Amino acid sequence: MTSETYARGSQQTSAGGVLVVLISVLSAVLVIAGIFYAAGTSGRHKAALAAAGCEPNLAPSGLQCTTVQMLAGRYAAITTAASQQLNTDGAAYIAGERHHLATATAALTAEVAVETAFGTSLARFPFPPAIASAARALIVADRALARLTGEQARASSLTRMRSFNGRAGAAAAAVETDMRIVQKDLDLRPTASQEP
Amino acid sequence: MATTRDYERDLYPSDVLGTWNEQDERADDSRPLRRTAKSRVDEWMEVEFKFGGSRIKRKALALVLLGAPAAAPLFFMLPALLTLNENTFSVSVDDTLGTGAEICLFLCLLVTPMVTLTGQRWFVPLRRWYGIMMACCAIGDAIAAGLTDTTFAGGFLGRLAGHAFELMGFMMVMLVIPLLITGNHWAQRKLGRYWKRLHQLIYVIWGLLAAHLLLLEGIGFERGSNGSGFAGDGDAIFHQRLYQYSACSLFLLTLRLPPVKRWIAARQKEGRNWLVYVTIMPIFALFVFGFIFIVNEEIFKGIDSFMEHPSAE
Repeated sequence: MTSETYARGSQQTSAGGVLVVLISVLSAVLVIAGIFYAAGTSGRHKAALAAAGCEPNLAPSGLQCTTVQMLAGRYAAITTAASQQLNTDGAAYIAGERHHLATATAALTAEVAVETAFGTSLARFPFPPAIASAARALIVADRALARLTGEQARASSLTRMRSFNGRAGAAAAAVETDMRIVQKDLDLRPTASQEP
Repeated sequence: MATTRDYERDLYPSDVLGTWNEQDERADDSRPLRRTAKSRVDEWMEVEFKFGGSRIKRKALALVLLGAPAAAPLFFMLPALLTLNENTFSVSVDDTLGTGAEICLFLCLLVTPMVTLTGQRWFVPLRRWYGIMMACCAIGDAIAAGLTDTTFAGGFLGRLAGHAFELMGFMMVMLVIPLLITGNHWAQRKLGRYWKRLHQLIYVIWGLLAAHLLLLEGIGFERGSNGSGFAGDGDAIFHQRLYQYSACSLFLLTLRLPPVKRWIAARQKEGRNWLVYVTIMPIFALFVFGFIFIVNEEIFKGIDSFMEHPSAE
């Protein structure tokens, strides 16, 4: 009786042993397969980013992806808002530059604020490395424009103020040119597969 | 003479939210009182140490340290609750609290296998704590999703049970409520032997979670951004919730199979615990593999929720 119980118990434990070994082997295979799969993560990541039109430099693995379109859209939103405000301030300056020193000064002071804020937004913008140099040039041009506009706003007479017009116009044109370059670069960004 | 079967039944506790100390076990009158020799670790954990002006058991400190992370999902949602940020709730409560509930469920279910493997019992109180946290996360998820989720139409109930996967989640929440209410000593005494049966609903919840995830993510097959939440991730398979669930559940299920428990008990009786560890190691590694990605999801989504910039991945 005791040996029968022992034999039955032994059979039961060996069945458990077989079961646990089978599951263990399956688990080991799955873990090894997982490690091999993980080794190919980088390649898949780039391919998937390219397929989704994502900007790889802005999206660490597993985080939300920023598409090129999104990036261009964000940039356009910043530049459009700044341009519209500068146009308004520019119109106010033109209206006051011949007869109203206070009006012209106020318009130029507002312009300085917009240009400074625009420069700050650009400095914070997550430009991809390929665009970084063009973006830096734009920021430098914008700061130069803001500095010049500041000097113009501090002029004590309308004549002295108008004498800045030529240089300010050239500086504004430089900013516009750099803005267009950055916009073009953003629109023609290389795909993820072309990234180094 | 105690047979191997008797030995196994006496040694290993059942999975219930509140079976957390010797007192609890006495309340369960359907089985003999369990009396096993304390392991050396259990004895070490019982030793007190001085902290400030009071004496604290090492076990208490260890339990607090191991139990505290279970409150993290609720903590992550706290800023959104305090500021009544409907957007954060709407976008990420399901990921933060839903994943949190899953983590707590697995931790709750992990306690019994760990007792089986190690023979230690000092961490058994964590089972109740993880169960309570799981219930809080699941109920919080359901309420917040029902109130704020704008993805689905049909009002509060429509958002909770309007789709098959939502219905599974809703049933889980309905089942977890009685477990939460009765997860205490008083209810355990009042319900007697029915208490254990009631708390075996945790297995139904475990199964419903499989159905919930199965239906949520295309029966486990990646389609576009389905599963990983973002196609550009590159680790789509690791982020498939059903796969994570399966990887974790294999270990939790295997260590509950009676033949396996008998085999382990027999090897331990022979003093060959090393063989148990070696054999179980790959299954445990798979559990860790799956669990890491669930925790990863919780941390990333949770921090986004905490910062009130919810991630809609």
